[in-house]
Amino acid sequence: MALKRMFCLLTGICMLLTSGAAWSAEIHGRSSTQYHWFTDYVTGNKQAEFGEYLSVSVTKIDQAGKLSIQGYGRLTQDVLNGQGLNARLYYLYGDYSNLYNKVDIRVGRQFVNSAAGTALIDGGKIDLKKVGPVNFSIMGGRNVIFNLDGEASHGEDFVWGVSASLADFKNTDAELSYFMKLDTAGIARDQFGASFKQYLLNSLKLYSNTRFDMASETFSELLVGVKYYPTSDLVFTGEWYQSYPIFDNSSIYSVFAVSRYQEGVFRADYTINDKVSVNAGYSKQFFADEGSDADVFEIGTRIRPIEKVQLNLNYDYRNGYNGKLNGGAFEAIYEPIKPLELACGVHYDVYERDRITGRETARKYWLGGRYKINKNMNASIRIEDNVNRQYSSDWSGRLVFNYNF
Amino acid sequence: MKKIIFIVAILGFGLICLQQKSYAEKKTAHAEYKDMAIRECNSCHKSEGIAPNHDSDFTRSHKELAGKTGNNCSQCHEQKFCLDCHAGGDTGDNLSLSKFGRDSKPKSHRSDFISIHPIKAQDNPQQCYRCHDAVAFCNSCHSRFPKGNLRIKSHMMTGPSGQKYSFAIGEHATEARRNLQSCQTCHPEGDVCIQCHSSGKTRPHPRNWKSGNIKDRTNGKMCLKCHSPGTF
Repeated sequence: MALKRMFCLLTGICMLLTSGAAWSAEIHGRSSTQYHWFTDYVTGNKQAEFGEYLSVSVTKIDQAGKLSIQGYGRLTQDVLNGQGLNARLYYLYGDYSNLYNKVDIRVGRQFVNSAAGTALIDGGKIDLKKVGPVNFSIMGGRNVIFNLDGEASHGEDFVWGVSASLADFKNTDAELSYFMKLDTAGIARDQFGASFKQYLLNSLKLYSNTRFDMASETFSELLVGVKYYPTSDLVFTGEWYQSYPIFDNSSIYSVFAVSRYQEGVFRADYTINDKVSVNAGYSKQFFADEGSDADVFEIGTRIRPIEKVQLNLNYDYRNGYNGKLNGGAFEAIYEPIKPLELACGVHYDVYERDRITGRETARKYWLGGRYKINKNMNASIRIEDNVNRQYSSDWSGRLVFNYNF
Repeated sequence: MKKIIFIVAILGFGLICLQQKSYAEKKTAHAEYKDMAIRECNSCHKSEGIAPNHDSDFTRSHKELAGKTGNNCSQCHEQKFCLDCHAGGDTGDNLSLSKFGRDSKPKSHRSDFISIHPIKAQDNPQQCYRCHDAVAFCNSCHSRFPKGNLRIKSHMMTGPSGQKYSFAIGEHATEARRNLQSCQTCHPEGDVCIQCHSSGKTRPHPRNWKSGNIKDRTNGKMCLKCHSPGTF
């Protein structure tokens, strides 16, 4: 099914491109042709694939420039193990904006968001703008679910939702929304969502969002936060978050008792100057019962010692319920000459899920380079070696040729 | 309760008073600034009283900005910007981007994430499901492993030769309550749970269980997995 849609997308694009000369519409996008090789985690076999990622944006289709078409998808072909063709259509939708200066209409596969729920749908979304101080939105369609190898949606998977939000207030955002998900058993999920944001005193931001699950009559998520930014380069963040695991009503797990998870976060992000920025944070995690909590510390920095070099370093340390994790990532980016970018990095983690599994180490080393051939074309290569519990050395990588049109 | 309502009312009134000034001011359209350096964006933000964003905390905190109706992300970003992380796309731009199979991975999935994910997956019960479907994604990998092959703490108590809960230790109840979603990844139908938790044996429901809510939404199909018709 996905394959057919992918071919429809490609055919449509070709038709648009070939007719472009006699048509005033603007067509832009990117073709990213890739060859990548890796080890299939389950079978342990080496695998190599050609992939074509195509994103396209068609604008100014009508005189007023209100209609546009956006699409993005990929097609891959395995060349080693006979796994054949695989496709994924991320989105393909037509967008008509500002109908009567009030209504935006979007039809097709698209990513939709609201405080109550998020989904990738084959359907439509209609925004009704500025009815007094309020925007309204309604969306619905087939629920698109991806698994590792393709689409896993069934015929009865649908979602729909409505929302009302404050329109165009500079310092205040507020939204109330409803989201329903349907599957073979009936109503899989129905929940209300709300979000709120308020800027105060030129240096404070208060924000909150929540989801209320109707079946369990529980606030499945609740976040309350404050940001304090005395300067444009320094931000302090404090958050309190709690959630309950929530399951589709069609899952047997929806009838089981569950425990609350809570998390407190404090962090600071500081851009010292054009060359150095730093961040540090601490999270306390609570897993319901006494003694089952965890502490997470993290620090990071981005350094640009000279114009052509950038260094990024992140480290975090977690200790407590459900294991220890101690590690980070380093990457360096260097531009020796304008069209050439070289990069390399290391990931290093030491982790211990519990005393039975013991302490283990995972490392990843990677190296890459990109050359900008001209304004529209660039080519890149990236290789990595994974050294971990499963592999003493596991090489993978990709070759990429990008063409922007 | 009355005190809480009173405090909330006072706070709300205060916010509305402070807000009055900004009612006349409108949000700024961002499309024309989309190629600007983030530092310049934040300088303007600060002068307008708006919080800087797109900083080093953005990966963790962007949900608060993006996960709502009417967000202004699309003024600068196409949806592929979201879906390269949320759905494994790859526009071929980012050299530091790593892949799992053919799907790209966000930076939060560091080093050998296969081995680390049991720790990460239990941090926040909702986090994984912002991108992955609970059953379709997790089970498409977990179902390929032979039963007993995974190193799960609560399953290993009876020894390495077989994975069975050690009921005497009683750990599985608390572990399941904390991390019920992890049970679902290997037992999507909950068959092992029903063996004991079906009608008349060990009650699995929470204390304030509203059975009618599930019954109405699934036409009783879910209840019939454990209960006989007419008994619930």
